[in-house]
Parts: sequence; C-alpha cells; structure tokens
Amino acid sequence: MITAELQKGWAKSLLEAAGSAPAPWLEELRSSAGALIDGLPLVNRKQEAWRYTNVEPLLKESFQPVVERPSGYPGEVPEAITPHRLVFVDGWFMPELSDTALLPEEVTCGSLNDAIAAGDERVKNRLGSVADPGEHLFTALNTALVNDGLFLHLPAGVKLESPVELFWLNSGGETPLLAQPRNLVILEPGAEAVLVEHHLPGEGERYLHNGLTEIVLDPGAKLDHYRVQDESEQAWHFSRIVLDQGSDSRYHGITLAFGGHLARTEYNGLFTAEGAHCTLRGLYTVGDDQLQDFHLDVRHDVPHCSSREQFKGLLYGKGRAVFDGRILVAKDAQKSDAELTNDNLLLTRNAEVDTKPQLEIYADDVKASHGTTVGQLEANQVFYLRARGIDEQKAVHMLCEGFAAEIIEHIHLETLREQALARLRQTLGNL
Amino acid sequence: MSTQRELDDLVKAGYEHGFVTEVESETLPPGLNEDTIRFISAKKNEPEWMLEYRLKAYRHWLTLEEPDWAHLQHDPIDYQAISYYSAPKKAGDGPKSLDEVDPELIETYNKLGIPLEEQKALAGVAVDAVFDSVSVATTFREELAKAGVIFCSISEAVHEYPELVKKYLGSVVPHTDNFFACLNAAVFSDGTFVYIPEGVRCPMELSTYFRINEAKTGQFERTLIVADKGAYVSYLEGCTAPMRDENQLHAAVVELIALEDAKIKYSTVQNWYPGDEKGRGGIYNFVTKRGDCRGDRSHISWTQVETGSAITWKYPSCILSGDDSVGEFYSVAVTRGYQQADTGTKMYHIGRNTRSTIVSKGISAAHGQNAYRGLVRMGPKAENARNHTQCDSLLIGDQCGAHTFPYIEVRNPTAKVEHEATTSKISEDQLFYCRQRGLSEEDAVSMIVNGFCKEVFNELPMEFAVEARKLLNITLEGAVG
Repeated sequence: MITAELQKGWAKSLLEAAGSAPAPWLEELRSSAGALIDGLPLVNRKQEAWRYTNVEPLLKESFQPVVERPSGYPGEVPEAITPHRLVFVDGWFMPELSDTALLPEEVTCGSLNDAIAAGDERVKNRLGSVADPGEHLFTALNTALVNDGLFLHLPAGVKLESPVELFWLNSGGETPLLAQPRNLVILEPGAEAVLVEHHLPGEGERYLHNGLTEIVLDPGAKLDHYRVQDESEQAWHFSRIVLDQGSDSRYHGITLAFGGHLARTEYNGLFTAEGAHCTLRGLYTVGDDQLQDFHLDVRHDVPHCSSREQFKGLLYGKGRAVFDGRILVAKDAQKSDAELTNDNLLLTRNAEVDTKPQLEIYADDVKASHGTTVGQLEANQVFYLRARGIDEQKAVHMLCEGFAAEIIEHIHLETLREQALARLRQTLGNL
Repeated sequence: MSTQRELDDLVKAGYEHGFVTEVESETLPPGLNEDTIRFISAKKNEPEWMLEYRLKAYRHWLTLEEPDWAHLQHDPIDYQAISYYSAPKKAGDGPKSLDEVDPELIETYNKLGIPLEEQKALAGVAVDAVFDSVSVATTFREELAKAGVIFCSISEAVHEYPELVKKYLGSVVPHTDNFFACLNAAVFSDGTFVYIPEGVRCPMELSTYFRINEAKTGQFERTLIVADKGAYVSYLEGCTAPMRDENQLHAAVVELIALEDAKIKYSTVQNWYPGDEKGRGGIYNFVTKRGDCRGDRSHISWTQVETGSAITWKYPSCILSGDDSVGEFYSVAVTRGYQQADTGTKMYHIGRNTRSTIVSKGISAAHGQNAYRGLVRMGPKAENARNHTQCDSLLIGDQCGAHTFPYIEVRNPTAKVEHEATTSKISEDQLFYCRQRGLSEEDAVSMIVNGFCKEVFNELPMEFAVEARKLLNITLEGAVG
C-alpha cells in the first residue's frame, strides 16, 4: 500500500539530492513545486488517475538524481536520420555528442540549463507557465528538480527543413539513476518544425526517466512530434507532454511505445484560441512484466477546434496496458470536433487491458465521439491467410502489422517509418 | 435552436404530480442511532436475526465515508436530519383488501393515474403499492399464489418465508457494498419480495409504485426478486413524488437473483420531483441495483427511463457468473432544469460465453448534467464473452452537459468488447426534413427524440412504453423549438 509516509519519504530523499539551480528565479520555481509535494494526493489506486497503475514498487526503489552534466558517455551514440542531432545523457544535454551547427542562426536549440544560466528571458517567461506542477507527484518532482533538457525556440515564420532528432540515453552504473529532463519548445507564429525523440536505454538498465515537456504553439505554428519509447525492460518511464495551442496551430504527435517495465505517457492538450487542431496517435506493445499506460486529456476550452486521438495496442505474454483518454468540451466551445479511439489486440492468454475513454461535454453544437475495442485476432482472418498457404505465425504477424500500420503510416518521415516497422517486427518475432 | 425564453418555459413547467396527501402518519423524529434501528425493527415485529443484520450494517456504515467520485454536485446530506420511519397510520392489523385501505390513499393513486382496481380488472397487473414505507395494499395475491409465486412486502416475507429471505437477502448487494447500500441495509423500511418457483412463468407482470410522501422522510426500499430454475418474471417499478421544498433522500437497494435458465426483466420509470426552476429541492436518488445471473443460461435485463429526481446515482448491474448467461441494460436518462444524473451499469463477466448489451441514451436540456458511467469487466475465465456498449448523448441547449465515463477491464483474450459513444445535438438536417413535411418544430423534435430513444422503449412492456413516451414528451415540452 502506498502510504503518505512512503510517498513523502521517497520524494524527500530525491529532493535532498537536488543540487543548486542555475538561476535564483529557477530556485523559486523549484522550491514552490517542492512545497506542493507534501500536500499532493497519494498516487495509489484510490486515485482515479492511478487506478490501474501500481507505482508502489517504484516508490520502494531508491534513485540518485543526476544533478550535474555527465562528463562523458561510455557507449556508442546511435546514428541520426537527420543532420540536427541532440544527445542527452541522464537528462543532460551533451554538446560534444550533438550536431546543431547546421541549424539556422535564428533558431535556439540546445540545453535548457545553459539558456537559464545565460539569463534567457524566453525561458524565464514560459517555463512552468504551461504545465501545472501540482498535477501529481511526478510532475511536481520534475519541477522541483528542474535542471536540464531541451530548449527549442523558433522565431516567427521560421520553417525547419530537416527534423530535429533527440536521443535520450542513460549512463547506467551501480545505483539506479533518476533522469529528470524538462523540455521547453516554443514555436512563434507561423513557425514549423519536426521533432523526433528516441528514448533508449543506452548503457542503463534500471533507471527512472521522469520527463516533462512544455510546448507552446503560437498562432499558425505547426509541430510534428514523433516519440519512440524503447527504454530498457527494467526501466520506469514517465513522460508528460503539455500543449498550449494558439489559433490555427497544428500539433501532430505520435508515440510508439515498445519498452519499459512501467511506462506512462501523458498528453495534456489545451486550445487557447480558435481554429487549432491536435492529433495524438500511439502504438504500444506490451509483453511479460511490462505495463504501458497512456493518459490523455484534451481540453476544448474555445470554439472551432478539432482533435483526433487514436491509440492501438498489441498485448502478449503477461503484458498489461492502461488507457485513459478524456476529451473535455467546455461551455461555449461550440463547433468543437473531437474523436477518440482505442483498440487493443490481446494475442495471448494472460494479457490484460484496462481502457477508459471519456467524454465530458458542456456545449451543444459539437461533434464528439469515442470508440474502443478489445479482442483477439479474428480466427477467420487467420484462416483466410492460411488457406492461401501462409503459415500461422506469418499470418499472425501480417495481421498484427496491418493493425499497427494504421498508426505507423501516419509517420511522415520515411526512415523513421521503416525503423518503426522493423522494431515492431522484432517484437512480433518474440511472440 | 432553443431560445432562452423557451428554456425558461421548460424549467418552469410545473410538476404534474406535485400534491401532498393528508394522511396521518406515524413518523419517527429525525435522527439515526442504534435506537432508531431497534425502533424500526420492533415496529415491524422483526425476528432477532433481522435486527442483528441491521445493526451489523449500521455499525459498518459508521466506518464508511460518503462517496464523492460521481459527477454530481449537491449540498452535504445531513443523515441526522432525516426521519427513518414513516408509516401510514392504520387501524387494527392493517387492510385485508382494497376496501379497507384509507380512501385518501386510493385517491392519491387515482390522481397518479394508477387506480388499483382498474389495473386489477383491465391490465391484469398485480400491484404492491408502497405508500411511504409500508405496503398498504397487495392485489392478485391469491391468483399468484395459485401459480406458486410469492409476491409480498419484505416485512411479510421476513415472517412468512424467513428461510428464503435469510438465504438471499444481501447475497447480491452485501451491506459492505457501498455507503448507501449499507445505510439501506440498516434502516430499510419495507419493499417487495418476489419468489418465482422452479419452472414457473409468472402469469402477469408484477408492479410496484413507490411514492415518497412525508416531508423529511427518507425512503429506503428493499427489493428482492428470486427466479428459481427456469422461471420467468417481468417486474415493473414506477415512481413519482409530491412537490416538496427540502431535499429528500432515497437510497433503495434492489437485488435480483436468477438461477439456471431463469429470466428476470426489470423495468423502471422514475419520475420523482426534480426540484424547482432554481434547482431547489428535489429527490436525491442513490440507488444500488444489482442482478446476479447465478445459474447457467440465466438472463437479467434492466430497462430504465429516468426523467425525475434532482440527483440520480444509479448503476443497475449484472454479475454474469453462470455460463452462457446474459445481461442487458437499456437506459434513457433525461435531465433538465438543474437535474443531475450519474447513471450507467456494470457488467461483470465471470462465466464462459456470457454476453451483455448496454444501450444508454442520455438527453440533457437546460442546465441538466447527464453522465454515463459504466464498467465492463471480463474475468480471466470469461471465455468467449461478448459485450457491446452503445452510449449516445443528445444535447438540447447550450447550458447543459453530457459525459461518458466507461471503464473496460479485460482479463481474457477470447473476450470481445466494443464500446461506442457519440454526443451531438439534434441535427438541423433532420429537423429541416421533418419541417418540410409539415410537422411543427416541436412535433419534429419530439419525433426525433423518441426515435433516439426507440431502442430502449422497445424493451419496455407495452403499458410502460406508452407511459414513457408520454413522460418524455411532457418532460421536454418547451425545451426545444
């Protein structure tokens, strides 16, 4: 059972190792978030948000926050598919491993910590303005321990031709480490960018990644955001992505989740002006000793916005998946258009899924729907393929690929699409 | 589509059944403690085991906290300000036939359009009318007795069929189940007991009308229906309450048990006082309804039309433990004025080849808030279990809300679960089509709304379907146009 003592004690031990902040204002932000922790509800099953996700074993582990930039990285850095590569180790930006030279001069792309230390006003103005640190224990913790992460800023009208690719790696070692990246992405009016994130184990095995990303899209800005979560199978991974979308902005997000012992991805979308659109898609696979958890919360606070959420899961072994999606249409947010679907394929006997797609609608002139399915492969589909001389294993793979293709085909970068497919095949090969 | 004025008309639409019958009542002063429970038990001449059952529940209730997870907002309920017993005063040992019933009561039922005698003669429906907390008239007892059907008040059953009551009471909804069910177990005043013996098809539809009358009187009904092997029964529950200023609490418990090959069909039309135009008053309706498909191939079907109450908190559920058992839930919930409804169902698939269907239609108008909350759980042994859920919401006016909170838990890969939900307003196209063919706007809307609810109304027994349709039209009068 998660007791107040356990939760507070765990957080306290981490906060004690926080280290110093690069600026006084950040110290303030940190301590105000730290002060919230004791008053936060327990992350136990009595909380709706944690009903199906048990983090008790995590709170019984001790972690070492990484409070300084690692001096180096012992392993190989994977190859990038683009010229703009940013490498982070244990949540810290590693300039010597990264290539940002080809980015246009007016674009700021690099370490959040460096930007703060250099007195960047843009960070000071926006950091913490989008994400509520009091959301739950892990967001409060992230804010209370802000150190480094990505800071990406595109001035008005700048359109990046090539994607910016981020690699999140872990250095490993004796004590399990806590990586706490905090990312801030600001696209000024009309700016466009593509962001690709790879969450990889690197040299680490047991570690906790607790990331929080704030994304500000000014009017007319467009961001394609691809995330491949392929953490170690002993790792805990938490990612929260919080969006603040201005008028006519577009956010197109895809998360592919393959790894992690317990991985939770949260999307929190907020439309602040009319005409914005947000698409969230996800594909997850879970096997033995794995739990993938997705929590989506898209708020239509203003009229004339649209959102699409589509998440699909393949479950095998004793894998567990949790999906909780909410669309909220506020009073007066007329002409909102929202759609949410979650489909799950249970490939084996002991896989489990808990899904909860919710609609909360306070306006009448809206289109809102959600749908969810849970089932196994259709026997007659397998039969159809077998009747054509395809062996059973191959038939199952084809059908699973077809199921997953609905998400993967929305990746507009060909190399990444191929990588994703190859990764999926690798998982299916283990079936 | 709707103008403010029309909405105003809607919320001001008077409550048809708002009158109070002056009957002398024997009412317990407000308050709840062990003595209250002993009083109720003594009043009913209950055996010791029943009192023990109540006290056990009460002691457990003291340890519970009122749930707050529902999408509802209301002032805190003061459980000490409620009177837990109110019985119409009766002469002698109570009426033995309708002639002996207080004429004023009969008058009340007549006003409500449920004249007992007429029903007796015309509809062939047996009525166990509940006026406040004590059964005052039971008709068709003898006819049912011929078929071996037991249809009586729970207090009578406690005396006459203690073995059956002991065996089944609390076996589906134990007193530890939830806050309101626990309270009910401690203080339930009366209710209905039905037992259909093996292989018997109940010769008529059974029906109970509830009516809350005494101000400040909680109504804690307890219904227990047991269908033995191969039995069939259709049970109708309808209710309406007089206009009152203060909130009245209603925490009923309904337990259904279906043994092998048995089928229970339970239909409800609920039209309690929803509060005035400012949202003052109205019934707080916290009901626990659950059916247990204990036997193989058993079948439980819930149909509900909820148009009344200020607050509705109600999740008629099915435990599908028998193999090949079937659970169904059909619901229409209408909220207008400041009504709030948080309703839905739970389907627990435990046995193999169990099937369930959920059709929920929510209509929100004016300031109404309507939430569907449902759980579908496929247990590890629920081989080839199936569920299909459809929940649609219709919004009328821009001040209301419609919410959907489905929970789906799947522990078996051979199980198949599908859930669909939509939220929309009445489409302009449909309205235009009807208007073009000469229908007034109000008729067009009424037609569209009735069409929206058709799947559910089709599940209601004939008389109820007519009543439900009428009720829906009255409820939405002036809401649209």
